[in-house]
Amino acid sequence: MTSAKTKEQLNMEFKGVKYILTSSMRTKLLISLYDNSKNLDEIRNNLKKPSATILHGLKELEEVNLVKKNQKYYELTSNGYILTTNMIKLIDNWYSIDKNKIFWDSHDLTGIPESLLNKLYLLKDSQYITSTTKDLSNAFNYYINLISEVKNLNIILPIYSEKHLKYIIQFLKDEKLKHVNFVINEKILRTIKKNEFLNKNLIKSNKVTIKETENDLKLFLTISESFMSLSLFFKDGYYDDSQILVDKSIDGKKWSQALFNTLNNGDENK
Amino acid sequence: MEENNYNINKKLIFLAKSEIRLKILTELKEKPQTLNEIVKKTNITYSSVSSNLNKLEFNKHVIKDNKTYELTPMTKIYINHLIEFKKSMDIIKNFNNFWNKHNIDYINNESIENINDLYESKLIETNPTDIYKTHNTVKNQLIDSKSLKAILPYVHPEYPKLLEQILINDGNIELILNKTIYKGLLGNIDKKTKHDSIKKGNLNVHILNKDLNIYLAICDDTMNLGLFKNDGSYDQNRILSSKNKKSLNWANELFETIKIEAI
Repeated sequence: MTSAKTKEQLNMEFKGVKYILTSSMRTKLLISLYDNSKNLDEIRNNLKKPSATILHGLKELEEVNLVKKNQKYYELTSNGYILTTNMIKLIDNWYSIDKNKIFWDSHDLTGIPESLLNKLYLLKDSQYITSTTKDLSNAFNYYINLISEVKNLNIILPIYSEKHLKYIIQFLKDEKLKHVNFVINEKILRTIKKNEFLNKNLIKSNKVTIKETENDLKLFLTISESFMSLSLFFKDGYYDDSQILVDKSIDGKKWSQALFNTLNNGDENK
Repeated sequence: MEENNYNINKKLIFLAKSEIRLKILTELKEKPQTLNEIVKKTNITYSSVSSNLNKLEFNKHVIKDNKTYELTPMTKIYINHLIEFKKSMDIIKNFNNFWNKHNIDYINNESIENINDLYESKLIETNPTDIYKTHNTVKNQLIDSKSLKAILPYVHPEYPKLLEQILINDGNIELILNKTIYKGLLGNIDKKTKHDSIKKGNLNVHILNKDLNIYLAICDDTMNLGLFKNDGSYDQNRILSSKNKKSLNWANELFETIKIEAI
């Protein structure tokens, strides 16, 4: 048996978290009172639970000073308000991350700094595009389509892929695309330079700037004025060209720009 | 309300349900460890740690490599959010006297979401042998400070001289206050000093027609926060004070938000 003293300490340390998060009645009551104070009838209508259950829950929350009763109205105390704000933040973040869980779970995330992994919730509006057995290049075509309509690109390039680069050269020639800013690992860059066509039209183009990095890049990130896209490697080290995560929201842009800046400056805070 | 959106996730409940599990996860968040290391560090019994690690491994929250257990990347993220939440609860608990029965209406939601930035603050409370402790804490900062950003809901008789000295030393002051406070405070500062400072841009005052029920004083490297009690009176007996960089940023954000909202 774990000693009584240790148990007591654990109890003290985590009691609050467990108390709040493991009772759906308590969390629902707090959320119900978050927007405005309510009387019993209103709470009952809101939660569709019997009065006895609700009253029991309210009494518990009153005892720990998260809720107070004012005339016939129940309201959150300042403690209750701070707690509920942060509880909703937790639930929102959790939900946002879960939305693309399959994508995150199946890939190697070690290329993304921890500070940004903790902000994955910013990508709540993103969707992932997957190639199917019917259309093996669905993800690739989607990507080309995206970059065919933008003026500026910031790209973290971890792979050598002629077909990607040839499209970029094409769009630069068409003058729709004005400027591309690459961060490339030195090994990949050397390989690109060996290809005469790519060297002449991409590396030496005055519309292209390249930052060479010694870091082993483990993600393919593209940012433009209208979207960001991300592809990753599988956990076994192979690049996954069948899935791409795309986000067009302001939050998505914020997240990806922070990721780009971190890798561009080389100060991965790992 | 969109009740369904706020159903607590089953996985979250699984992780939060057992204090022992939470402790193990918190330990592994720090660094990957072996079963024995966890037992040693936490004083939880071997069998209990072992059975919980098995459960966690089965649910893909941890992976075992040789003898070392490590959080999976996604679980690490979840745990970080959970620990952030725990921290916010700690802040409520640690500074209970400060929040409890006090008015937090002037702290906007974003600041409340970032309340963890105040984690390393100190609660300074007066006591029978030192009834001016809160005032003296701020006073000592003002004496040394080259700058001040403040929302002042009351004037202490010593404030005019303290602020005047900052201005004489060519320091910078930005204030948000109502008319009454304005007269009481700036009426008692030497006129020439006041006018010169305004001309130089060293003194900025935003005057409001309404009351602001919050006290915030940001000096060079310390921030101080004071609240009103629910009965409407200012609580002079406690302030939350911090030199921590995050807290300072937090206070500056709050100052700027109140400035925008009030003007």
